[in-house]
Amino acid sequence: MSREEVIAGLVDILKTVRQINPEKLNNISEQTDFITDLGTPSTEMINIAAKAEQKFDVEFDDDDIDDLGSKVKDFVDLILNTKAKG
Amino acid sequence: MAERKVAVVGMGGAFPNCSNLDEFNRKLFSNQSLIRNWPEAEKHGKNIRSKVSGYITEDEMGLEAVPSSLVENYPETYIDKLDRIPAANLATADVGSIWAMIGALDSIKMAGWTEDEVRSENTGVVIGSGGAGNEILRKAWYSFFELGKKTRLGGSHTVDRTMVYREAANVACLIKNRGVCEAIGSACATGLGNIGYAYRLIRFGIQDRIICGGVEPTSLESFIGFDGMQVLSRGFSPEESSRTFDASRNGFVCSFGAGIVALEEYEQAKARGANILAVIDDYFNNSDGDGDMFYPSFAGQQRLWRGLLKDKNLKPDVVKVHGTSTPAGDAIELLSVVDILGESGYHISAPKSQFGHTLGAAGAVEFIAAVLMLQNQKVLPCLNSVELNPELETFQTSAQWQGPKKPLAAFRDLVPQQSFEKEINRIVCLNYGFGGTNSSISISRDN
Repeated sequence: MSREEVIAGLVDILKTVRQINPEKLNNISEQTDFITDLGTPSTEMINIAAKAEQKFDVEFDDDDIDDLGSKVKDFVDLILNTKAKG
Repeated sequence: MAERKVAVVGMGGAFPNCSNLDEFNRKLFSNQSLIRNWPEAEKHGKNIRSKVSGYITEDEMGLEAVPSSLVENYPETYIDKLDRIPAANLATADVGSIWAMIGALDSIKMAGWTEDEVRSENTGVVIGSGGAGNEILRKAWYSFFELGKKTRLGGSHTVDRTMVYREAANVACLIKNRGVCEAIGSACATGLGNIGYAYRLIRFGIQDRIICGGVEPTSLESFIGFDGMQVLSRGFSPEESSRTFDASRNGFVCSFGAGIVALEEYEQAKARGANILAVIDDYFNNSDGDGDMFYPSFAGQQRLWRGLLKDKNLKPDVVKVHGTSTPAGDAIELLSVVDILGESGYHISAPKSQFGHTLGAAGAVEFIAAVLMLQNQKVLPCLNSVELNPELETFQTSAQWQGPKKPLAAFRDLVPQQSFEKEINRIVCLNYGFGGTNSSISISRDN
């Protein structure tokens, strides 16, 4: 799975978060920050992580979620690294 | 500090089988029943004994649940199709909290409070609900305990959407007041208890204005507990199911709703030219003290009345009773009122006969019904009170009975079957709850 495919999947998830302005999802890059750029409430981050587990068929370690940053890149790395661990 | 007067300056909420306060007002005073067969109960066939309710659907309130992709049938959040509540506030709210927020916005609009007034340190929020469970909690628990799923699948909003004072918290986060934010819980007296507590906060100078009331969201989780107790009405058409004081009554109708009112210190409200809907004369509450969780207490109600009236001349034109349509409760209450006020000179109104028992919302929704009676100068009926018992109640024949020795039928003239016009200057509202808690408030027209 490419990084671009993961980002596209993340955007699909973000579209379901009603507190995020959909217009801000048009120009997502790896450097986009969920909280400062998209205005995502911090309480929604765990919901996004749980939906990412479902969408990408992975199960994150609690330690990895605790250490997770708030940029798109951080989520892409976590998803791909978790997938690589099998 | 001198005690201050308190005015009612706004109201709103969610009302059974109505989309807004105007419709509620119109239907009540045209003697309609707001009780319907409830499809959610009917789905469960013989496992649920009562199938009628004064319920409110999400669609009727302009709401739509957004299903979670993680937990089956779990409402991840709600959409407000009428754009009243921002998405960030909807995310932290269960249905009852959304009703409370809608009621708060309508109350503030009616009160005419400025943004500075709303956001003041002297503005509080005091709202509570009665039931402990709802769909959100049940499905989040089911996912964890029964399905063995991770806690995070339930999402990060199970606490804010299910905590005891969720309605008050959600309203405070929406309107951004800087004064108190609390919830009073007293079972079916909750709605009036919150208004009474808010009244005291203003009366004693702790706050200047408060959004207050009671909420009970449509919830099968709340309904089934009462259904299991066999205390719900059964065997009548929906509109005839709630029949306060009628000889054939056999239980209450479990209903849902929200009553939210705006209270303000009287002189401030008067000075800014507010439309004063009513003035609160006094509030009093107590406990039965007999150790009985459920059975109503004649002595407790007598002490309640004496506490409310004290040595003041507060003769009401209407008594808005709790009047649930239960066999024991209605008889004790009517005899208690007669014992205090006598056999004439006032009328009795039982709004539950029209929309059922809205549990934690009851005292607040019925307070609004009482304010509407003052405004319309019309008494709301005791619907379906077709025949009052011509015989003495069993408890009236015991040697210990200290109350009136006449049967309920002797007081027929106090109990109207239809709404009617009369001069109404003062109304006393009564509500009671499990645990032997009793609440009363007296409201008057502004002179």
